[in-house]
Amino acid sequence: MDSENAAPIIPPAEVPDTYQVKLGIFEGPLDLLLFLIKKKQIDIHDIPIAVITREYLEYLERKEQINLDREGEFLLMAAYLIYIKSQMLLPREQPLIEAEDPRRALVERLLEYQRIKAASGILREKEEERLQNWSRSFRPPLPEAEEIEIMEVSLFDLAECFFQLIKRRGSEDFKVLKGKEISLEEKMKEILDVLEGNDYIDFLEYLGNQETLGEALVSFFCLLELVKNKVVYAVQESLFHTIKVWLRREAPHFKESR
Amino acid sequence: MNHKLKDIIEALIFISTEPVTPERMKSSLEDFPAEEVDMALADLLQNYASGERGIHIIQAGGGYLFATRPEFDAWVRKFLQIERKTRLSQASLETLTIVAYHQPVTSVEISALRGVDSTYTLKTLLEKKLIKIVGRKKAPGNPLLYRTTEKFLTYFGLNSLEELPSEQEISKILEEKNIEQEI
Repeated sequence: MDSENAAPIIPPAEVPDTYQVKLGIFEGPLDLLLFLIKKKQIDIHDIPIAVITREYLEYLERKEQINLDREGEFLLMAAYLIYIKSQMLLPREQPLIEAEDPRRALVERLLEYQRIKAASGILREKEEERLQNWSRSFRPPLPEAEEIEIMEVSLFDLAECFFQLIKRRGSEDFKVLKGKEISLEEKMKEILDVLEGNDYIDFLEYLGNQETLGEALVSFFCLLELVKNKVVYAVQESLFHTIKVWLRREAPHFKESR
Repeated sequence: MNHKLKDIIEALIFISTEPVTPERMKSSLEDFPAEEVDMALADLLQNYASGERGIHIIQAGGGYLFATRPEFDAWVRKFLQIERKTRLSQASLETLTIVAYHQPVTSVEISALRGVDSTYTLKTLLEKKLIKIVGRKKAPGNPLLYRTTEKFLTYFGLNSLEELPSEQEISKILEEKNIEQEI
């Protein structure tokens, strides 16, 4: 999964000086330093900073370009090494006691890093052993989250819905107007056009939007007709909810009805 | 010996995708006395330890888990058509080791120990649920504190943090390396 998955290539200690080592194989500046210390067979507690810094810089120089994002830490370490060297060169009135050795912090970091590396080596073996034991990872089927109950409604449910609407409208003050006459065919075409443009029609809303009761009635009959001819289907998400009307795209009468 | 109980325990371990701890087992088997559960479990483990089957029960993450036996690794991989196993990257492993030994630990502390910025590696380890955030350190900036998870233990076949490579094991490895070097 990881792009950095390749096993670390730790060059053996007796690598000749001409050996080309890429920075990328080191996990970081501490890793490179440890490699150099091992290569030069240097006592980690008494690092000749000048020697190791020269070696270290050589490795950096072998790289034509340093990618600051990825390898900036290597440069930081180089600066740190030079800083330590400068500290050691400073003349002092009294000889250094061990606790003041400017190398001390670096040595401690190196020792701890070395321990981490050794421990991760052991963990790598454990990982290897463990990965040879395969376990099943699929879960037994768990009870599924409750689905929305969708029910297809009958003509009677639609009629019930319509009466509810009429009741709701009953409170309004109706004036009888002689409006234009709307034919079933026209209305049906209109409904189908709306359905073409939208996923579904909210039945109650659609009826409520009709200008006159007559028009609403015609719409209602149209819907009944369309349901009957299986051009559309009506679905109620749960009891007492509005009824949604969907186009039955696979319907054979679809084209004819238009 | 309650043979039925042994079979029940076998079924529980079988159906679980995570190690079944004795506590978890007992909470499902509260009708049975705890000592009987322990005995039945010990008996079951012994049965599988005989090595006569393709699967065995491994102990990891403080619990028990059915797994195929290591000698059949190649067959399993062939069957599952897995040519190459995904292992942790070196950066991930190193970072994880630091979290394991220094927990609870902050991102800055980890980066300092590795000498490399570890933010991205920490993110991938969090995604793999091998480490978790346990709070914030009472220090400037209130940095996040990380710890290893149960899944970390299971992944390496450890039962507790006490089973991490010991100081002696680590020194032994370091000495071996030094000897190698002298040769």
